[in-house]
Amino acid sequence: MEEGRAERRRRTEAPSHPQGGTRRAGVMTDVHRRFLQLLMTHGVLEEWDVRRLQKHCYRVHDRTATVEELEDFINNINSVLESLYIEIKKGATEDDGRPIYALVNLATTSVSKMASDFAENELDLFRKALELIIDSETGFASSTNILNLVDQLKGKKMRKKEAEQVLQKFVQNKWLIEKEGEFTLHSRAILEMEQYIRETYPDAVKICNICHSLLIQGQSCETCGIRMHLPCTAKYFQSSPEPRCPHCNDYWPHEIPEVFDPEKEREAGTSRANKRSLRSRQH
Amino acid sequence: MSEQSKDVCDPNSAAEASNSEVHSILGVPGGLSLPASQAATLAGPESPPLGPTDAPLASPPPQAPSEEGDPKALQQAAEEGRAHQAPSAAQPGPAPPAPAQLVQKAHELMWYVLVKDQKRMIIWFPDMVKDVIGSYKKWCRSILRRTSLILARVFGLHLRLTSLHTMEFSLVKALEPEELDRVALSNRMPMTGLLLMILSLIYVKGRGARESAVWNVLRILGLRPWKKHSTFGDVRKLITEEFVQQNYLKYQRVPHVEPPEYEFFWGSRASREITKMQIMEFLARVFKKDPQAWPSRYREALEEARALREADPTAHCPRSSVSED
Repeated sequence: MEEGRAERRRRTEAPSHPQGGTRRAGVMTDVHRRFLQLLMTHGVLEEWDVRRLQKHCYRVHDRTATVEELEDFINNINSVLESLYIEIKKGATEDDGRPIYALVNLATTSVSKMASDFAENELDLFRKALELIIDSETGFASSTNILNLVDQLKGKKMRKKEAEQVLQKFVQNKWLIEKEGEFTLHSRAILEMEQYIRETYPDAVKICNICHSLLIQGQSCETCGIRMHLPCTAKYFQSSPEPRCPHCNDYWPHEIPEVFDPEKEREAGTSRANKRSLRSRQH
Repeated sequence: MSEQSKDVCDPNSAAEASNSEVHSILGVPGGLSLPASQAATLAGPESPPLGPTDAPLASPPPQAPSEEGDPKALQQAAEEGRAHQAPSAAQPGPAPPAPAQLVQKAHELMWYVLVKDQKRMIIWFPDMVKDVIGSYKKWCRSILRRTSLILARVFGLHLRLTSLHTMEFSLVKALEPEELDRVALSNRMPMTGLLLMILSLIYVKGRGARESAVWNVLRILGLRPWKKHSTFGDVRKLITEEFVQQNYLKYQRVPHVEPPEYEFFWGSRASREITKMQIMEFLARVFKKDPQAWPSRYREALEEARALREADPTAHCPRSSVSED
């Protein structure tokens, strides 16, 4: 591979020790660089994938070093990324609270990450769906309602049949999730577009009372109307025998979900995998 | 890339500028480099002197990119360097924007390039100018230079002009490639697995793989041309169009066959990014066999690996950490 020579020479000459030419706060080594490359390649990753990724990067570049605690590792990288207006952002899936990570652009003023993938009318369809989702009570917009807006789209005229396929494209690319004919935002979209959404729909946007982040799906108090993410309610009410609204103290009428437990998750995943996978898992 | 237009910033000179700047700062060949054939294309039809005649930012003559082992390339680059140094009247243009604005543009361009690469889309220079650089076209050289630096320093990626003819850039890993990183998380990257299956099939056959053969293999994975898959979507479209667009596969009609049949070959990008040894490792993993179960292919892979090592004696074997000096 012709690039190989350049790469390898650079590896020998450009020192990978901490002071290699950076003027910034954090310390970038090849471990961090590879981590960033791969995180960017994957778009969005769940936490256990991120840990595997981190270990992989250490294995490649610095076998002898102790693997830094993930949070510190990421904060270290983020301090370098700060001046570039990007960061590794941590979020959680709204339905079951799985932690996820993505590299996001903080300077985004539009749905810029999607802009290169989709045509003008497709982007507009997404915006229309987004608006419906944000305005809705449940965080879901029905397929019918979205498709009814097809005539209002900018750009080339789109038929409903086409629009259905575009919506599926959004699902495949992890911008939307579909459940029983209704659409909501994928956690990736929430993570990447939170800034944009808050700036564009400041009045319609819902915020979680506990974590103060954007809320699309969640539970709400029937008395005072405050809202909470499902995983946030799980954590907040974890040891409360009688859950009460943090704002108005009224009885909290909804079922409290379980707190996400990565250990249980891994066990479940392993037993499923053992039944069908051919290759052994690397730990 | 016209000489007449004073405002046009051409990727070539931007490439050279970046290259020389990176030279001085990092002391290594890096940033942008010109592939030999493209250098020839430039020196040919375009009449010297090259580069825009306005040079608001004086760029030092590009050093011959020593990573091009090709002596012809060195000569071309040297010629370009001389031509580039030809006296250029400084054009009284608009005042350069504040450095902060150029920096911001560089950051925008960095993100743009990263996202394009993530989506495995072509990074096309005219798109870069249209979508990001915009009215700062005159300063695109310095913007590109800064972007390359950031990408190299923070991400360990080279922004490389891969084809001057089509004005395409690509992001190349500057770090030791080890094994395919994606294989490390392969159960989460089904696209790569699918692609690797097809590439290995082609490789093992030693020639193009007929579409029917490919579908036989994919059937094992439960994929059919007419069925939509939950992860891949339209599989046929993916392998015959998207992978082809991304230059991972070539999809060509078999000559002289009626009714028409098609076959798959490795694409140029696959040849660049994936080594034969990686394919052998993939096969070994999937079929739980030793790679030597495909003896002639394994020999080929060994030869390729040896050739790559000989081409660069300072290369490390994979998995060794940091430099050995």
